[in-house]
Amino acid sequence: MDSAPVVRIRGLVKNYKDVHAVRGLDLDVPRGSLFGLIGSDGAGKSSTMKTVAGVMGYDHGTVEVFGQAIDSEAAAERIKLRLGFMPQGLGQNLYPDLSIEENIDFFARLRLVKADDLVERKEKLLRMTRLDKFRDRAMKNLSGGMKQKLGLVCTLIHEPELIILDEPTTGVDPVSRRDFWAILAELLAEKGISALVSTAYMDEASRFHHAALMHHGRILAHGEIEELIHLQPGTVVSVAVQPQLEALNRLRSRFEQVVALGNFLRVFVPAQDASADEVVKDVLSGLEVSEVQTDTPELEDIYVGLLESSGDGQAVRDLPSPPEGTVIHLDPDRPVIEAKNLVRDFGAFRAVDHVSFDVRPGEIFGLLGANGAGKTTVIKMLTGILRPSDGAGSVAGADMRHSGSTIKKRIGYMSQAFSLYQDLTVVENIRLYAGIYAVPPKEVEPRLRWIVDLAGLEGMEGALTGSLPMGLRQRLALGCALVHRPPILFLDEPTSGVDPMGRREFWDVLFRLSRQEEVGLLVTTHYMVEAEYCDRIALMHAGKVVAYDSPAGLKSDVEGRFGQLLEVRCETPYKAQNVLRSGGFDDATLHGRRVQVLAPDAEKVKTQVKSLLERAGIPVHDIRRLPLTMENVFVQNVLDLEHKAGMAA
Amino acid sequence: MNWARFTAVIAKEWAEITRDRLFLGLAFIVPPILMVVFGLGMNLDVEDIPLAIIDYDHSPQSRDYAYRMIDSRYFDFKGYLHDERQIAKLISRGDVRAVVVIPPKFGEDLVAGRAVAVQTLLDGQFPLRANIARGYIGAINANYSQELIANFLSRAAGFSPDQARQQMGNLRIEMRMLYNQSGKSIWSMAPKLIMMVLMMTPPLLTAVSVVREKERGSILNIYASTVSRAEFLLGKLVPYAGISMVNGVFLWALAVFYFQAPFKGSFGFFLLATAIYSFTTTGIGLLVSSFVKTQIAAVVMTMVVTLVPAILFSGMLFPLSSMGPEAQAIAHLAPAMHYGQVIDGAFMKGIGLEKLWSSVVSLLVYALVLFVLAHRFFTKRPQE
Repeated sequence: MDSAPVVRIRGLVKNYKDVHAVRGLDLDVPRGSLFGLIGSDGAGKSSTMKTVAGVMGYDHGTVEVFGQAIDSEAAAERIKLRLGFMPQGLGQNLYPDLSIEENIDFFARLRLVKADDLVERKEKLLRMTRLDKFRDRAMKNLSGGMKQKLGLVCTLIHEPELIILDEPTTGVDPVSRRDFWAILAELLAEKGISALVSTAYMDEASRFHHAALMHHGRILAHGEIEELIHLQPGTVVSVAVQPQLEALNRLRSRFEQVVALGNFLRVFVPAQDASADEVVKDVLSGLEVSEVQTDTPELEDIYVGLLESSGDGQAVRDLPSPPEGTVIHLDPDRPVIEAKNLVRDFGAFRAVDHVSFDVRPGEIFGLLGANGAGKTTVIKMLTGILRPSDGAGSVAGADMRHSGSTIKKRIGYMSQAFSLYQDLTVVENIRLYAGIYAVPPKEVEPRLRWIVDLAGLEGMEGALTGSLPMGLRQRLALGCALVHRPPILFLDEPTSGVDPMGRREFWDVLFRLSRQEEVGLLVTTHYMVEAEYCDRIALMHAGKVVAYDSPAGLKSDVEGRFGQLLEVRCETPYKAQNVLRSGGFDDATLHGRRVQVLAPDAEKVKTQVKSLLERAGIPVHDIRRLPLTMENVFVQNVLDLEHKAGMAA
Repeated sequence: MNWARFTAVIAKEWAEITRDRLFLGLAFIVPPILMVVFGLGMNLDVEDIPLAIIDYDHSPQSRDYAYRMIDSRYFDFKGYLHDERQIAKLISRGDVRAVVVIPPKFGEDLVAGRAVAVQTLLDGQFPLRANIARGYIGAINANYSQELIANFLSRAAGFSPDQARQQMGNLRIEMRMLYNQSGKSIWSMAPKLIMMVLMMTPPLLTAVSVVREKERGSILNIYASTVSRAEFLLGKLVPYAGISMVNGVFLWALAVFYFQAPFKGSFGFFLLATAIYSFTTTGIGLLVSSFVKTQIAAVVMTMVVTLVPAILFSGMLFPLSSMGPEAQAIAHLAPAMHYGQVIDGAFMKGIGLEKLWSSVVSLLVYALVLFVLAHRFFTKRPQE
């Protein structure tokens, strides 16, 4: 077998006018590997992938694919037959007016696939992706997950040796995402295809064999996933402690990485002699510690740790104390938001279906769901922008059906459509919002300083908003939403496109707002990992709330109903997955080089799995229990719901 | 050139055109509408000018004079006015465009052989129309004067009125317009409109169809595959050139049957020239598409490079011979002019390839040069 890498990059530099997208990048993609490029928006992933696919020129360095230097259009042409490329954007490269089958046929004809091969491959791929029932449906009428699978089929139809997938899972619901990874893993294992796949979701790293962590056009670290985890040896300690703010400050003074996740504080403790939980308890001595858990670190911990040691990290800061002035006071014992059986229909389509929940003062409440689950519609109804078709609700003590204008004065709203004026400076934007919310003129100056301080924008007051990095813009937008000191804040997908560091800083501000200022926060997000930051969550799917509890409560509920998550490390993982599936573990899925199964009775299942695999001649290295993620919680709840709906029908 | 890939691009393009209602409408419905709208709007003939008359005389002569205006097919008589102060209001509202004021003692002075001045007030907002109205009134007036002289001669010199009239008309100008004998502007306009409409939508559709793929990202499928630049560009060109030709035939039928323009030439020649013209116009769209990234930019830029020369330098509004040398040079650089000559020849003069081959060859060279340029500037590995 040829052991030369399929892609070899040295010193790649790519600039767009003044923007330095890639700044000297080295990368090797081994043959047969499922290789992940992991990084946030603007890290340089797309630029790198486009140069590899030969669809974009670059400024310096060498890019070799299959040993062929890609240095001209003619050179790039020579490798394109062996390459499949799926650009970023869900279904953006497909043709909306063509049906599934016509889209596939077009790609096949462009690639000169022989008619017989086409029929055979098309049927197989359509069957695997379960798109065969919809083959005549126009692409524009497909759901996000289906578009993404169709894109994959079109990329694979000429059986390339290397496929390049640019953020194939962005904006896709967790169930479809899981499905996509399973199909991809299966196809790659079967055909021995190499794949270069980018993602902005850190939690998807476990899907890859190898990965490179990218930041600001450079690679922070790369290697096998297990190696990456060990780059920053340490333990993660989660601790439930009161009072939280005091504990947070103490831990911050001692450890680099401390985040507040609902009732828990999560600390990354670098490897040392003493046991990690003892060290943490020691720091917190005198405080009321109710629960301590230890876990292995996740890739995000490593990523943030690497950023901090490379000097790109930013010091965490205390929330500035707010200026004196007019503040809206609410009854501290009543929920700040109450939704009772909210319904909203758009024509025959029920976007929101009997949604109920409440948000208490000083609580971070998460509305979690995929795109199109109805989150934004709920927020629009609660803020008085949209009338509900049925149901009731109160916000800030006012009835949402009649007191729209009262509500608008008492809430802050930061929308997913970026609400700042890009051509105004930082200060001009803040003044504009102060004007809109009728902040008394005398109070504008102190609040302006407070917001600049809160958003960490000192020295950038005169900068045009459009020129700020995404993370800073988000915090400025947050500041503008707080200019009238509302006791309730609605945040609609506030962290889309922000890198993990920026996200942590943003959530840190939210946490302090909730605990220090007792602001009630309603946050929507489709990042499953972000749900961990919330005190309580409502999981939304297809307009309904399918689960409603604290993250820990949701996890233990899923564990109780479906079992614990086991990870099997063994030889030939793809074969192992199939053995387990035919042995009764239907939900066995391939994650990189490991297989995951849900086990109602962990000990019994461990022995079952082991004997099943060993009987099939597959040596097992290790079976261990994994903590459930919010993604597992979401997927299990939705699958269970769909299963029940299927049974009923 | 690989035939399978080339036809794949064409088939895909065609499927997208026929399923996108907006595109389909732009391709087949908008051109005939444009043709009709422009044809009706650009009619330069002036008839039925709303007219009012003030008669301060009320003599048989004044009534006779007034009826010559009233009976004319060029005027639409709105009625007599009694007061000059009404005029300004009526003209400013557009109710009348011309007012003739017959002074008191009009008949008496005429009979006495004294000179009489008839005041005429015209709406000068559109100088062209005002000039034409002035011409009509002048002609009617001259005609009336001539009759007065004839009557005088018959009385004074003892001729019979017919004899007198004959003597008066010894020298007269006989005008006959060749190639548009009835002098109707729509006749000469309709064929030129084919040229203009075919210069509007086909290049626009071509440019938008390429740039749309850039905006959406599906162009990356082309970049990432082994389809060649020529296969892709020709595959884009052929459907739109085909649409343009079909439109050419529709518009020809509109010109001949709706606007009743005479078609004296050979239909085969018209088709050949229209086919070449179609590849030229869509070629412009293709070239534009290599320089722009957004559909808006494509629309604006295509409009600017196609419409301005098509309207100003094609001889549609201003005859080429009346242009200065610089303008003539520009006109010769514009494909619209060459097609304009071809189509004028085919419609009005009934001449064909034997006389117009140089224009046809010019169009052909145009089409080739545009395609070569588009091919040169299109890259499958852009810098961003």
